[in-house]
Amino acid sequence: MHDFQVWLVKTILEKSPVIDFMHTAWAWPIAESLHFLGLCLLIGAIGSFDLRLLGVGKRIPIAAMHRFIPWGLLGFAINISSGSMFLLTEPDQYIFNPSFHLKVIFIMIAGVNASMFYLTSYRRVFLSPATLEAPTRAKVIAAISLSAWLVVIVCGRLLTFFRPAQCEGEQTALLLTCVPW
Amino acid sequence: MNIDPFLVWLESTSLSQWVVGSPSLLAFPGILTLHAIGMGFAVGISAVLDFRILGIAPGVPLSEIRRFLPILWLGFWVNAVSGVLLLIGYPTKALTNPVFYLKLTLIGVAMALLVRISRMAFDEPAAARADIDPARLRKMQRLAVVSLVCWAGAITAGRLLAYTYSRLTAAG
Repeated sequence: MHDFQVWLVKTILEKSPVIDFMHTAWAWPIAESLHFLGLCLLIGAIGSFDLRLLGVGKRIPIAAMHRFIPWGLLGFAINISSGSMFLLTEPDQYIFNPSFHLKVIFIMIAGVNASMFYLTSYRRVFLSPATLEAPTRAKVIAAISLSAWLVVIVCGRLLTFFRPAQCEGEQTALLLTCVPW
Repeated sequence: MNIDPFLVWLESTSLSQWVVGSPSLLAFPGILTLHAIGMGFAVGISAVLDFRILGIAPGVPLSEIRRFLPILWLGFWVNAVSGVLLLIGYPTKALTNPVFYLKLTLIGVAMALLVRISRMAFDEPAAARADIDPARLRKMQRLAVVSLVCWAGAITAGRLLAYTYSRLTAAG
């Protein structure tokens, strides 16, 4: 994995098309602002749907509440795009950062968890347009979803406090968490 | 008015020095993290209410969105408290930057709109409710658009605070 991380950082630094753009005066701050706007859309739409499955607003039909989800996906798309801009500009600051590793893992957990909802509960919840009580399995998925996204925010916010230092000696962990040059 | 003596005093307090100087992740990093989470719920749920008023998810009874409002307000208060702590940590950085006052103004307008929209959507007798009367619905939709614009502006202004300050501390 260490070699892969080094290769990835070097390849990005060689081929990234956005480095010059992101180094212009306002590109980075604007991308950050979009990243926060996307966060609000994602938490607002997906978080509210999770809360609804968990029993908040019990009189709202679950299928009707699901109509907000595309806005959460829009927020996610905004954040993948703006996040990629950061990654493709300062790859070493992310690829060697333990907080980023954890963030990516929890984004994947949230993704797998959401697909579990559509595989196991979607039909039961949406069979009748007036379903008001989510099955237990859907509630568990909603709780995992909310928790995973909160961990993603925590890891994202803490990234800057785990900036990788230069390596001293050999790293033995699975993932490299320092800059080897 | 010269507020420098006040800034010097505030920065010398032990609370300010804990926020800025403590190596604990619960100090500055933890407060920043709470500020991001509170923002997600406060702005996110406010946006969901605005979207519903603008016609998205029409099957959701507008009056039932009030059940989410306590979580919105919890997010708001988490951010009021964490924001005051960040301000105590770096008072000069914020108070000498016009963008900070722009951010506070936009949040103030957005919260005033939320209270106004809440009254129109939740508190009035069913016959006068805005989702039934088209003229009142149009009015509420205008307020919802302004609310979304204010939140986007407040978030952008907040992010730009890290780039637009002229003095970090009273001393330097």
